[in-house]
Amino acid sequence: MPKSGKQHVQSLLPRMPVLQGFDTEPWDLRQAEVLQAIFEIAEEPAESLLPPALHPSIPPYATFSFATFPDSPVGRFALAQVRVVGRAGVRPRGYLLGAYTTTEQAAVALRTRWGFALEQGEITIDQRHDRITGQVRQGGDVILRLELENPEQISGADVTFLDSLHLVRVQQDGGERPLLIQVDPEYVFHSAQRGRPRLSVFRGAAWGADSRLQCTNPVSAVFVRCDTDLPKLRFALDPLVEGARGRVQLGTIG
Amino acid sequence: MKFGVFYELSVPRPWDREAERKVYLNALEQVRLADELGFTYVWAVEHHFLEEYSHCSAPEVYLTACAVQTKKIRVGHGIVICVPEFNHPVRIAERAAALDIISGGRLEFGTGRSATWTELGGFRADPDETKKSWDEFIHCIPQMWMQERFSYEGRYFSMPSRAVLPKPYQKPHPPLWVAVTTPGTELDAADRGLGCLGVTFASFAEQEAKVKEYRRRIKSCNPVGAFVNEQTSTVNFLYCHEDDEVGVKIGQRLLGTFNYLAAQIGMAREMYPTKSYPTAGLLPALRRQASGPGDGSRLPQGIAIGNPERIIRELKKWEAIGVDTVNFLLNAAEIIPQEEVLRSLRLFAKEVMPAFADTQPAQAAVGGGR
Repeated sequence: MPKSGKQHVQSLLPRMPVLQGFDTEPWDLRQAEVLQAIFEIAEEPAESLLPPALHPSIPPYATFSFATFPDSPVGRFALAQVRVVGRAGVRPRGYLLGAYTTTEQAAVALRTRWGFALEQGEITIDQRHDRITGQVRQGGDVILRLELENPEQISGADVTFLDSLHLVRVQQDGGERPLLIQVDPEYVFHSAQRGRPRLSVFRGAAWGADSRLQCTNPVSAVFVRCDTDLPKLRFALDPLVEGARGRVQLGTIG
Repeated sequence: MKFGVFYELSVPRPWDREAERKVYLNALEQVRLADELGFTYVWAVEHHFLEEYSHCSAPEVYLTACAVQTKKIRVGHGIVICVPEFNHPVRIAERAAALDIISGGRLEFGTGRSATWTELGGFRADPDETKKSWDEFIHCIPQMWMQERFSYEGRYFSMPSRAVLPKPYQKPHPPLWVAVTTPGTELDAADRGLGCLGVTFASFAEQEAKVKEYRRRIKSCNPVGAFVNEQTSTVNFLYCHEDDEVGVKIGQRLLGTFNYLAAQIGMAREMYPTKSYPTAGLLPALRRQASGPGDGSRLPQGIAIGNPERIIRELKKWEAIGVDTVNFLLNAAEIIPQEEVLRSLRLFAKEVMPAFADTQPAQAAVGGGR
């Protein structure tokens, strides 16, 4: 059988969001811009970044993304995420390691309604004809900067964004239990560009990864303009049980 | 209708010293039996780096062993990856010709381009270019075989005049095929006069449409070789048991295991956006079909698992839509004990093969032991 993640979930829980409920109303997020880069990562240290519910993909890889949302129920905000990709049973999913957003209102909503483990930071996407650069600063320090080099137009139909899994705490039976909730936005792409990714700054400790996330091989980068959403929550996984057996239909817990 | 066996050579962890050898030896034993039973083909894929799912990176070596241990079964080198970072076309032509000689002219030559980032990225191949390099290779390789000396100036390789040796035993050359996963490749096959080697578990409706268009289009093809190989095949799972319930139950374990291992692989489309791979390719197609709507028992359409009556019924549907050959996966990660795989093959030959006009089992082998 495939390998499984070795993350010690219990030790992470104190800093994971407490989900307020599963009946989250969706947000429509129109005219979004998303820059996403994919890098293969070193295998052995990455296994300790995935919970036992997930199998590392072959080859192991991570996604780094920056998104701006000009119009949302909490106004304009940006979101940066680092995810390690694994398989929940047979389904590819991006497991969120860490995230940053730009406003307090967005931070509260994203943590409590969709389980993003995030902090506030400054996020920029700088578009030029020869490159598109995404950057995250926190406390004046650059903690992530990467570039999409030599962008070329492609069809949005060729772009795939994976669904996410977020580790959260939920109240149940008078106690607290860990849960992986699935956040599965839909995308309508208006334009897409592809190029080679180049990672110039990545401070692992700022993303819950310390030195265990080691990028070894650049794969691809895309920049898209799209309409998307943050949807109603539908599925969850027990993080400690192998994904094919640990799926939970929301509504049966809480 | 003809039948074949199809190998990925799937090796489960833990990978101790004997694990891979056991899978190879079991597969060879199955092929010897398939030859005795009257199966027409043994196919072996070329895959690289696909942990547990396929440890078949040197199929020409495995197929050579198949050839020397059998008498009649045709050896399907399929598919050979026609991407320069994987294989130089001269080396492809040389190895295939040698296999044709060793097998006494039993080679079927299948071509393709890989659909996984795991492989393409591993060789630093550009996913945008694979369809084009495949096209260049498939036009050149038959010429390497038929011309005493061959020279070429192309986009993906160039060479001065040389004798590419040895030449195949079959004259003018072995039958040519292409793996069809991406929609539209069946048209590429037809236009070039190639056999259509279906390697996804397409539904009846999808496969019927493909076959119909392929048959129509190949009538006006411009063949890359010396002759047109108008044939269509599809891949299936096989587990045959007298008790339908047992057959379905064990067969479903086979499907589930295969799909689970396939799902762990990073597909080209998932990791590298490109119009060159408009669908995810072989493996997700297998997943989708194997978990798609079935006949009420939650089996996907047309799967050859269960008792002989059920299998005949399903295969007759494939026959009715014009599929010439069904190639079977017999095991995945050794989930079915070898003795049971052999038993399933024998039962299939005894009870199912006679229901199909073109394939008669060799009676002595049907009743024989290991």
